[in-house]
Amino acid sequence: MALVPISYNLRSLFVRRSATLLTVLGIGATVAVVSGVLALEQGFSTLFTDSGRDDVAIFLRQGATNEGDSSFTRERAEILMKTLPEIASDSAGQRLVSAECYLAVRRNKVSGAGETNVPVRGVQPPTFLVYGDDIRIGAGRNFTPGTDEVIVGRKLVDRVEHCELGDTITFNTTPFRVVGIFDNAGPFASEIWGDRDRLSEALERPVFNRIVARLVPGTEIGFTPTWASTDGKEHLDGLSARLDKDVQVPCRVMTERQYLTGQTQALSTVLKILGSFLALVMGVAAVFTATNTMLAALAARTSEIGILTSLGFRPLAIFSSFMLEALLLGLCGGIVGCLFALPLNGVRTGTMNFQTFTEVAFAFRLTPHVLIRAVGFSLVLGLLGGAWPALRAAAMSPTRAMRRE
Amino acid sequence: MPFSLIAKNLFKHPLRALLTAASLAVALFLLCVLRSLVVALDVGVRNAAANRLIVQSSTSLFVYLPEAYEAKLASIEGVQNVCKWNWFGGYYQDPKNFFAQFATDPEALLAMYPEIEIVSGSREEFLKERQACLLGEGTAEKYGFKVGDNFPLIGALFQRTDGEPWSFKVAAIYRSKKSSVDNNTLFFNYEYLHKTIDAGQAGGPQGVGIFVLELAPGADRVQVASAVDALFEGGPQRTQTATEAEFNAQFVSMIGNVPLFVTSIGGGVMIAILLATLNTMLMAAREQTRDVGVLKALGFSDGSVFGLLLSQSLLLCIAGGGAGIALAVLSGPGMAIKLGTMFPGYEVTKGTIMQAAILTIAIGFFAGITPALRARGMSVISALRSNA
Amino acid sequence: MSEILIRLQAVTKTYTRGGEALRVLDDLDLEMESGTFFALMGPSGSGKTTLLNMLGGLDRPDSGAIVIAGEDITGFDNAELAQWRAANVGFVFQGFNLIPVLTARENVELPLLLAPLSRKQRREKAEYALELVGLSDRMKHRPAQLSGGQEQRVAIARAIVTDPTLILADEPTGDLDRSSAAAVLKLLGTLNSELGKTILMVTHDPHAAECAQTIVHLDKGQLGSIERRVPGAV
Repeated sequence: MALVPISYNLRSLFVRRSATLLTVLGIGATVAVVSGVLALEQGFSTLFTDSGRDDVAIFLRQGATNEGDSSFTRERAEILMKTLPEIASDSAGQRLVSAECYLAVRRNKVSGAGETNVPVRGVQPPTFLVYGDDIRIGAGRNFTPGTDEVIVGRKLVDRVEHCELGDTITFNTTPFRVVGIFDNAGPFASEIWGDRDRLSEALERPVFNRIVARLVPGTEIGFTPTWASTDGKEHLDGLSARLDKDVQVPCRVMTERQYLTGQTQALSTVLKILGSFLALVMGVAAVFTATNTMLAALAARTSEIGILTSLGFRPLAIFSSFMLEALLLGLCGGIVGCLFALPLNGVRTGTMNFQTFTEVAFAFRLTPHVLIRAVGFSLVLGLLGGAWPALRAAAMSPTRAMRRE
Repeated sequence: MPFSLIAKNLFKHPLRALLTAASLAVALFLLCVLRSLVVALDVGVRNAAANRLIVQSSTSLFVYLPEAYEAKLASIEGVQNVCKWNWFGGYYQDPKNFFAQFATDPEALLAMYPEIEIVSGSREEFLKERQACLLGEGTAEKYGFKVGDNFPLIGALFQRTDGEPWSFKVAAIYRSKKSSVDNNTLFFNYEYLHKTIDAGQAGGPQGVGIFVLELAPGADRVQVASAVDALFEGGPQRTQTATEAEFNAQFVSMIGNVPLFVTSIGGGVMIAILLATLNTMLMAAREQTRDVGVLKALGFSDGSVFGLLLSQSLLLCIAGGGAGIALAVLSGPGMAIKLGTMFPGYEVTKGTIMQAAILTIAIGFFAGITPALRARGMSVISALRSNA
Repeated sequence: MSEILIRLQAVTKTYTRGGEALRVLDDLDLEMESGTFFALMGPSGSGKTTLLNMLGGLDRPDSGAIVIAGEDITGFDNAELAQWRAANVGFVFQGFNLIPVLTARENVELPLLLAPLSRKQRREKAEYALELVGLSDRMKHRPAQLSGGQEQRVAIARAIVTDPTLILADEPTGDLDRSSAAAVLKLLGTLNSELGKTILMVTHDPHAAECAQTIVHLDKGQLGSIERRVPGAV
């Protein structure tokens, strides 16, 4: 079957320049907005999930959904840390396990734009062994255990007051000195770390919130969270099933990746819903625009269609030609939209993760995945917008078509 | 001014007019929803009571204040009533089923929050019964609970040692008359929580989350707030006392750039729809070139032809945009129910409608101005010769 | 002897096309009496259509004066020309130029919107004009539902509904078949003989010209000759 040459479509689009341009820009604006939201969601979720490790285990109190809810008494924590066989040791025989205390503390934002909740984490030297290179001191030095010194995550430095090297931060009534800035690819970069016992005293938090550990390779934690399971319910197997029934220290255990993913569920879901809603609503408007443009193009080219038909091009060829044109419109719109959205890549923003009520700073990430989805979306728009006009074009009888002019 | 001409021109291509109007409706609907979301975020601040102060820990939202503070607070000059509020942080069956629950003093609560209106059940029972609760009608309807039922709550923060959920008898159901309190909260007796923890039947943080103070008439807010903070300056927990508006505002400010973000989305939507409408108007105008020539030949002035094309655009936009705004208003109550937990107080306000209406007219104007100007300056002779 | 309705004095118009200047009307002097049916003839490029457009206030000469019913319209600005046109001129075009979305009656009513008339008055006048051209039964039809000849008659009804001083027709029979053309020309003739309308018709068809009382020949923008005659039977 002979196909209508593509140069015909290209030239037609060019001849009706202003209409083509407006349609492309309209689709472009839609794609840009949707990409922006997708990039925001991507930036947020990858911050957490990408940095979560599968070889670090998090222990929480039973029933707790995050470490803020969780608590371990000193005694119970010691029992778990000293006796659990699955906990790995390093070459020096030191068990790679640490109990942390955690509190979201009120701090003022630098710009005077109000307050925010900053996570403050009390850690011990083994914590750094557990995380290894994930935590790197970027400036200054690490805090000395047992002293009133803290290190501040890089992302807090220009967002929150008193977080520069050398500053003094007061928790409740106790002052702490900032002796170092640390880097982390994940959410720790928005936290303040210090000696666990000193912080727990200053903040009047006598209990521990969670325990982190590196497990012996091959340990099966066996925890399936609600969002990852097929029936929407939590499943416990292996270690997590055993600890659930433990007599001395009943608790929950999961990988750090599972824990962090769980933290982001609500906000991630909100952003995904927002993105879908926007895509749907704006997409509908964009499809209408594309249809309008194609219909007008059709009306103007009626006689051309008649000529093409009388020359021997079959209806299917005409249909394909118009569909192709619509897809071209969509594609151009998609590319334009991605170009509009690109400047957003890397733009830093921050918001409150309302599951944990803490400040989280992240950046827009326009990944290839986002771009592909955006362009795919624009192609769909072109397809939907062009379907009806293409059908009408193909259905036009040649005599009617030529009589119109 | 040939009015029938305006209307008839628009319907010359009914499908095109419909599509354009429909995309306008969709865009304006979206803009109304976005703005309403932003407005809803602020609602706690705007509708805050002027005579209530919130006393919280100056360190963290998550730090509790000693119960002993209650008596001291009550004795401060200018304080008429004191009420304890503890965030319970539980959920119904699944963590996704999130809504607010507070352990509080029932009598003080009802005295200090006149906007809470009991619509069914018994006030007395809520006050007297230890294990009773007062349930918001939104949550009651969502999960199908009536007065007399037992509401099971799984405690995430406060866990029972027997592993069972907490159970509260629904003594009464309330509706809030102002958006300072939402319609989805569950209130129960602080004493019940306290006694259960004391008896070793449950674990959880000790102390009081926040104290709410009611100001005596004529008392100075700022003075009372400073007096409270000064009283507890030395510890054991330093306090930060704020008006209800400031307290609610802190949550909004924590959310950060959301209003900016949403406004940018709105801007993008506006641009997209303006381009689409402009496209349609230009297409329509191109086809009307000869008609414009005829009108001018007949003696219609340049100005009247300008008015004709501009009116066409305005009419179409008002029809489409108006439909979108109407849709947003009509769906308002429905949306409020769905978004109830995250955006309590979602409402399509008059301000939103006004803004949307102005936007609609602006779009109609900007989309129509180019073809209108073109028509105004068109030479009659070339217009008549045109083949459009 | 009827009075002079139209007086053209030293009217000149030059167009530039592709860098070349073309003198479409060259220092033209002409007088036309009221109540006469004129035919304007000449080869293509002779300036007859340009002249017609100027008489209708659609175009302006580069120099010279055009005085119609005592008013020099070359001095009018666009707004004044529009107003003057509405009151004084009725156009009939080769391509009919009816507004497709309006019915026949609405098309005829259109020029009346520019006059301070009530809705009822407009309607009555339009219906009367349609009756004059013999299309009362087609009032509610839209142009697409009419034949070419019928469309042109509606256009004529539109041209006379304001009772203008002057009717200007540009090749009114150009797009019509033989019998429709004859009907239209007959109608124009009647408007002139019975209602005393002054009609200027541009045409290149000698048969059509035979309906006119005076034939003005133009050649290369200048007056060729004026033929006064008695209109022949059509």
